[in-house]
Amino acid sequence: MTRALRLVLLQLRVNIARAAAYRADFIFNGVMTLVSMALALLPLLILFDQRKVVAGWDKPSALVVMSYFMAVEAILEGLINPSLVDLVERIRTGAFDYVLLKPVDAQLMVSTSRQEPWHVIDLAGALALAIYAFGLRGEPPALVDVLLGIALLVTGVAAMYAVFIACAAASFWVVRLDNLVYLLGALFDTARWPVQVFRGVWRIVFTFVIPVAIMTTYPAMALLGRLDGRTALATVGGTVVLLGLARVIWRTAIRSYTSASS
Amino acid sequence: MIRARDLTKHFRVHKRGSGLAAALKSVVRRKYELVKAVDGVSFEIQRGERVGFLGPNGAGKTTTLKVLSGLLHPTSGEVEVEGFVPFRRAPELLSAITLVMGQKSQLIWDLPPADTYAMNRAVFDVPQEAFERALKELTELLELGDLVTKPTRQLSLGERMKCELAAALLHGPTTLFLDEPTIGLDVAMQLAIRDFVRDYNQRHEATVLLTSHYMDDVVALCPRIIVIDQGKLIHDGDLRALVKQTDPDKRVSFTLVTPRADDELVKLGAILKREGQRATLRVGEKDLPAVVGHLLGEWKATDLAIEDPPLEEILRVMFGKAREGREASS
Repeated sequence: MTRALRLVLLQLRVNIARAAAYRADFIFNGVMTLVSMALALLPLLILFDQRKVVAGWDKPSALVVMSYFMAVEAILEGLINPSLVDLVERIRTGAFDYVLLKPVDAQLMVSTSRQEPWHVIDLAGALALAIYAFGLRGEPPALVDVLLGIALLVTGVAAMYAVFIACAAASFWVVRLDNLVYLLGALFDTARWPVQVFRGVWRIVFTFVIPVAIMTTYPAMALLGRLDGRTALATVGGTVVLLGLARVIWRTAIRSYTSASS
Repeated sequence: MIRARDLTKHFRVHKRGSGLAAALKSVVRRKYELVKAVDGVSFEIQRGERVGFLGPNGAGKTTTLKVLSGLLHPTSGEVEVEGFVPFRRAPELLSAITLVMGQKSQLIWDLPPADTYAMNRAVFDVPQEAFERALKELTELLELGDLVTKPTRQLSLGERMKCELAAALLHGPTTLFLDEPTIGLDVAMQLAIRDFVRDYNQRHEATVLLTSHYMDDVVALCPRIIVIDQGKLIHDGDLRALVKQTDPDKRVSFTLVTPRADDELVKLGAILKREGQRATLRVGEKDLPAVVGHLLGEWKATDLAIEDPPLEEILRVMFGKAREGREASS
């Protein structure tokens, strides 16, 4: 385990060095990231200009969901997505060979191969938004809710990671998966809204199929002190099931690797 | 030790004709073809051997190397490398082997090779002291100098290949699969890499299985060769014995001091090449002493060289015979 952790930290160090090698890119991407954050807030602010409450959520509470969305997206864009895009490219070019030739878990290696460190700015923005939202609410969260909120942020990220790794594993069969990555990104976009906003079949889809509820709504409800114990446990259980499924899909997919010719 | 018994690797490949109509048709109805990349190949390689693995393009060389290094699951047959079944990817096996691919790179493009080396040290769990010793040895043998601290993208192809070799060997593997390690390199760099591989093999008693399009690499490095064509093994044995068996005649090259007509040359041997006063003859082994004596004594020829036929020619003959055999049997 310590070896795995050492490896992950080393990959992070390499990626920070890589990002630093292109200084202008680093600054440009940091600024872009701030702009896209501001744009992400717009629809929500417009909606709550018109209405006080939407599906039981007032503006400050919806902003907490949004801050979770930003945090999870920052982690997605900073830690997970670059690695998976890199994986698809490696499979296409055959460079994935070098991952399989290493005596460490291939899933761990590819999941941590690339990071884009400037997304740490988004994370700071998400935190600032959460603080602002609680300021609007006029009462700070209880310590136990903060701890549960952080724990569920971890499960939210893990759930999203599971969905992404399962989809990326498909690139062992279908080499060009760029569109699938975009589709996942678009579906994940729905996580900026509390899941209660969606009705009927869509709520089921966004709770169980593409678990945006696990990613943002439930963690936000935990922070707001609104989540019951059963849902919290179900969230953790659902994440564990998703991670297990992703692992099975990954292991099955890796057997189909045909290695692009030299 | 490497052992392959009745190894086969088949691929199901999508096949379609050229043009838009064929492309659209293939979306609706796909035709697949079974490609037998490796078809019942068996061999054994002992520890410390240097073996050349030869065959024309698409013969199945790279596929075999990928199965041996655990990248691909064989369709059938048994494979064992250093006592392990490769596709199970036991960490002990992966720490004992390396695969160098001349057309692929494991170096991190934007950073100096030193960063890839540090990463590999962590991945292979090499103790710091052993890592520094190995890096020092490789830096000396490959004359890396300050290349390891320059960004990879700024290195020339040859420099990158040297750094690539170091990255592949830092963990001290004892089985080396080298797939075209000198491709695209100039002659000086090819020689340097050849010397390095021989030296590494002797220092570490490492087993080397080498594929190369440059026959000089194989002749210089490998006492034994395995030849495959269309997935089937067609020769496994001593390189010199193969040359002798396929074409025992020698190539005698020389420069004439006084001009001689072709008619006179033909009496000594078949003319393979003639450029002014320089000529190359094909001479049978038993006639060789007399022909050389005549050239040096009576004709006073200079720059005389006696060589075996080029390996390319030998292989061409072999592949031709193998194909004729297959056609006759089918």
